[in-house]
Amino acid sequence: MKKALSVMAMALSLSLPALADIAIVVNPANSSDISDDNIKRIFLGKEKRFSDGSETQPVNLKEGASRDQFNEMILGRSSSQVSAYWSKLIFTGKGTPPKEFTTDADILSHIASNKNAIGYVDAASVNDSVKVIKTL
Amino acid sequence: MKKHILALAIASSLSVPAMADVRINGFANLVGGMTSSDDRVKGYDDDLTFSEDSSFALQFSGDVNDKVSATAQFIARGNNDYEVDMEWAYMTYEVSDALSVSAGRLRVPLFAYSASLDVGYSYHWITPPESVYAVSFSNVDGMRVNYGGFSGDVEYNFQFATGNTSNDFELGGQTAHLEGKNALVFTAEAIYGGFKVRGVAAQAEITIDSPLLTPAFAQLSQISPSLSDLLAVREDRGAFYGIGLEYDAHDWFVMGEYTRVTLTDSFYPGEKNFYVTGGLRLGQWTPFATVESSDMNTDLKFLEKTAAFPAELQPAALQALAGTQLAVRSESYRYSLGVRYDVEANLALKAQVTRIDDRVNELDDAGLFRVGVNYVF
Repeated sequence: MKKALSVMAMALSLSLPALADIAIVVNPANSSDISDDNIKRIFLGKEKRFSDGSETQPVNLKEGASRDQFNEMILGRSSSQVSAYWSKLIFTGKGTPPKEFTTDADILSHIASNKNAIGYVDAASVNDSVKVIKTL
Repeated sequence: MKKHILALAIASSLSVPAMADVRINGFANLVGGMTSSDDRVKGYDDDLTFSEDSSFALQFSGDVNDKVSATAQFIARGNNDYEVDMEWAYMTYEVSDALSVSAGRLRVPLFAYSASLDVGYSYHWITPPESVYAVSFSNVDGMRVNYGGFSGDVEYNFQFATGNTSNDFELGGQTAHLEGKNALVFTAEAIYGGFKVRGVAAQAEITIDSPLLTPAFAQLSQISPSLSDLLAVREDRGAFYGIGLEYDAHDWFVMGEYTRVTLTDSFYPGEKNFYVTGGLRLGQWTPFATVESSDMNTDLKFLEKTAAFPAELQPAALQALAGTQLAVRSESYRYSLGVRYDVEANLALKAQVTRIDDRVNELDDAGLFRVGVNYVF
């Protein structure tokens, strides 16, 4: 099943050659198991702990192609839907959307210096300061 | 007074730069609409008006510490002359990741979209289906407990809310006042993949003051104080039940809610309301359709009580019994078609046309066309 999905995902990504690869990254000290479902829940504010019990701190890129791609592929929603989702939670005091950063470099330096942070960047921007847990 | 509170809140949020984590969010709904021909629907008539469903709001929230946060929301509604009201003001204590307790003035979770009722951006309609959502109270002064988490792949949420409320609402075409005391609201919700199911049960001690009906109750009490008491809504138990289902396949979605309201020991007819809505997500476009109904067209209650009266008083008793109940009897269906267009991730445009089919009074059949801009930040 998962293979079928990943074949589908590959087919999708092949049919959209304009998209860059997205790398999901965490602090090198973070050794928790993080599945796709975990990532999805973390970025929707539904999962507040990594498997080792430490607090999740997701960070977002500002609006743009990478964020759209991440939202579609991991969260399964368009960016507008994600923002409608958060507007529900914000105005109930039930949640706060992930902090936003402007560039890949900002994300990388934030994650490098915060043990509990998790984010995503263009795979081409990745450096040694972070650990890649998944590439889309 | 209200303005002073707003000024104070703004001043205090501005003058406390040390509290770096004050979050300011807001939303704006600009909705214009008009009816077909001479129909009237809510505050709409056949001239374009923007005052009925438009609203602007600011929300301030701040973390007092790791566990405690405070939230205040101010809203200015067009149908209230854009007077600023403090919609919510509450503090939340995060007992654990799963459990939180809020106290203050807060929203009662009666419906799937209760929490974001005013945030047009959060749903596809111009406004949530009135047949279901037009209940007379949405906020209580009290407390709410949220408990949620995952069990395998199933996400669950439970909420319990309690408190008091005081609100104006429309009854039989006129403004009436409702007091709800000791409201108890239980909500349970489960989400699995694209499926969501939700149930709610609530009750409160309800008192309704209706200028439309007060004379009839006064008249009746001269014949029979006990019957008048029975009909009038004076700290009578009101019950509310609701169920909601949703399936979201990303490219399309369908959802519905069914609610039932009873005020057994009173003139108030039972309510049965529902809506079913569905839509397609085609890139930035979301065309949708909604069918909704509100049914307060029940058999007259307590007619048998008139038998106990002397023959000469029976007509008057019957008239009061039937008159008060018929005055608020209603049954209508609404059919809507509309489209939402997402301009960007915090701005949406919408258009919606609604046909109202009144089964009790054909003169209230109407058409309504609305366009809207929804913005959140």
